[in-house]
Amino acid sequence: MSGAKPRESWLSTTDRLAPLLMLAPATIFTLLMIGFPFVYAGYLSLHKLTLGSPTPPVFIGLDNFIKALDDPVFWTALRVNLFLYAVGLILELVLGTYIGILLGQQLRGVAIARVLAVFPAVIPSVAIGLVFVQMFDPAQGLFNFALRAFGQRPLAWLAAPNTVLQSILLVEVWQWTPFIALIVMGAMQTLPTEPYEAAVIDGASGFQILRYLTLPMLRPAIVVAAMLRTVDLMRIFDSVYIMTQGGPINSSMTLNVYAFTQGFLFSQFGYASAIMLVLLGLTVIASASLGALRRRSGV
Amino acid sequence: MRRLVLFVMLIAAMMLVACSAPEPTKAPAPTAAPAQPTKAPEPTKAPAATTAPAATAAPAQPTKAPEPTKAAAATFDWKQRAGDTLVLYLPQHPWTNAIQPFFPDFEKQTGIKLEVQTFAEAQLRDKVLIALQAKSSEFDFWMSLKSREGLKYYRANYYELLDKYLADPKLTPPDYNVKDFAGGPFGGEKFENKLTGIPIIIEGPVVFYRKDLFDAAKIPAMKKIEDIETAAAACMKANPGITGVTLRGDPNAIAYTFGPFMRAFGVNYRDANGKSQLSSPNGLKAVEYYTKLAREYGPPGVVTYSFAQSSALFGGGNACMEIESSNELSTIIDPKSSKVIGKVGVMPYPPGPGGDVPTVLQWGVSINANSKKKEAAWLFTMWATSQEMQTKLQLKGIASPRSSSWDSADWKAQLAGDALRAEWAAAVKYVAEKGSGEVGPPAIEQPAARKIMGDALDAVILGTKSAADAMKAADAELDKVER
Repeated sequence: MSGAKPRESWLSTTDRLAPLLMLAPATIFTLLMIGFPFVYAGYLSLHKLTLGSPTPPVFIGLDNFIKALDDPVFWTALRVNLFLYAVGLILELVLGTYIGILLGQQLRGVAIARVLAVFPAVIPSVAIGLVFVQMFDPAQGLFNFALRAFGQRPLAWLAAPNTVLQSILLVEVWQWTPFIALIVMGAMQTLPTEPYEAAVIDGASGFQILRYLTLPMLRPAIVVAAMLRTVDLMRIFDSVYIMTQGGPINSSMTLNVYAFTQGFLFSQFGYASAIMLVLLGLTVIASASLGALRRRSGV
Repeated sequence: MRRLVLFVMLIAAMMLVACSAPEPTKAPAPTAAPAQPTKAPEPTKAPAATTAPAATAAPAQPTKAPEPTKAAAATFDWKQRAGDTLVLYLPQHPWTNAIQPFFPDFEKQTGIKLEVQTFAEAQLRDKVLIALQAKSSEFDFWMSLKSREGLKYYRANYYELLDKYLADPKLTPPDYNVKDFAGGPFGGEKFENKLTGIPIIIEGPVVFYRKDLFDAAKIPAMKKIEDIETAAAACMKANPGITGVTLRGDPNAIAYTFGPFMRAFGVNYRDANGKSQLSSPNGLKAVEYYTKLAREYGPPGVVTYSFAQSSALFGGGNACMEIESSNELSTIIDPKSSKVIGKVGVMPYPPGPGGDVPTVLQWGVSINANSKKKEAAWLFTMWATSQEMQTKLQLKGIASPRSSSWDSADWKAQLAGDALRAEWAAAVKYVAEKGSGEVGPPAIEQPAARKIMGDALDAVILGTKSAADAMKAADAELDKVER
């Protein structure tokens, strides 16, 4: 009898610890996998570290960040990043919502369209970039061939500072709009029918139904899609790197590509880490504002 | 319906995971290639039936142990490091493909075991640099592009210096004949007169041109550098819609084809005091000439062009001339894609008013300074760069840095009756003998220096800046780059 008590307390201790023990491996793994690189990037950003230099990392405080403020290419990259993010997101959301609503209808051939819509999002961006580079080629590419066939003036596409961003956006929008359309279509399938019946009885027009019923009810799905695309568009790397490496004359340089160029091409790992931290900050701010929007609109 | 929502969410989650990090290890686009093509010409490619009999590669000869030409060589001890295991880091490269079948012979001859790891070129560079930075002995031997990274690695003491091995009769076979190497490529492996590697393959930018179009338009042979523009203009006039000359505009790659223009107008990238010379009077002449060729006679979108785009354009029959690496020949006359087989001529750059110094690029093999098996790695170097081996590889299309390979009877037999191949061989030999190993503006951070210059040249090609303004700014930047 007297031995039962401690046994009970031992049991309850185990009960208390069990969840923690079970969570521990995942927690430790996550901390190491996410926490360590983050801390190390922070450490590097405060040092001058040149790969291939015989000198060890030198502590330079915030010099890398100050250097960025003085670096015209950094500002170009920041501008390009924000431009691609804002314009890309708006285009993808508007087009994606529209196509998603279309795909949600019971039209003929819509089943095929739904299957096709999955494809661009699952093809690796690198492959897409390589294909588009060929198609954009001003002398030998498909796009200019088509323009000439219709009697239009050929364009330089990726090869001129004034058309390169539009060309990249074209690829991004082509690749990711169907993905947003799928999310919207999925949400469409779950909408209740009663409000629509009521609206029809009250004599609402098609546009009013869209404006006051469909879009507000789709808002949660659209915000989720926007969150997903925000993180991706801010960090845009593969398609830009494959198609232009930030050129011509840095006119399509994004922060991510610039950090990669500084780190792996110019061996400036400290400076590259500082640029990456700026990008991380921007991504966090953009996601947080969307999160706030989501909470405010009660989504 | 609910399942569909779940499916979409699942796909979304997968995307998020899949895209969660940019992968620097992804293969770069063709335009991202470093400033040198890494394809070697392959004489095994049969030209069209209309041309002379194809120069087919000599059948793989049964390999035998080297037959020393001197009695002393017979006493050389190849077995002195038997039992060692060497780790080689090599790029996916024609030299690697050509020499790998012979590795078992080396293992048999020396008792040294080889462990080979091959990577795409850009990944090899990243992997090697990180290992060297960590003072790791995980590999012993690798292929290094001295014109790109040599100075930096030499300063960081990454290369095992090889002079003492070369001078040691116990380690260097008496029939090795180091004097046989062409001066440019061998000099390109030295820094401050210290030997950091041995050259294995050479290439250089040359001019490919359409003999048929030149003949039809009665364009005379190009004797001086200014004739490139005259010929391009005449050829475009005779063939409306064709590109006069395709050349490099990709900022990371442009240095390779632009360099010889600087020297043709009588100026080096830097003067004796290390000051950048792009905005000097002769430097500006070179810049203006090159950018004019690109802008007025080059393809639209030339600022994105490197070897892949240029060779596709020229090989597809859409350009009169192509200024590119000698290694591009095999692509240009590839029976699978070429429309110009039997119509191509090749020559070195014509001389300019200020001289005639082509660019020669060599790949070299080096030993990791932190290797624990340096002597075994040196024996492998001796075997891989011997006269016998480099001549064998030459017959497989690897342009050898040794003169004897070009003079060998087997090679001459392979050239006989193939005019284009003979022209190509003469151009490569010319480049090797007269060339400078300076590809981009001398700097420790070679890629950074090349991009500064490339962006400035592109600004002139695109017309966003005048040559004088762009080059003045580039000189100021280049003078700040560590040398």
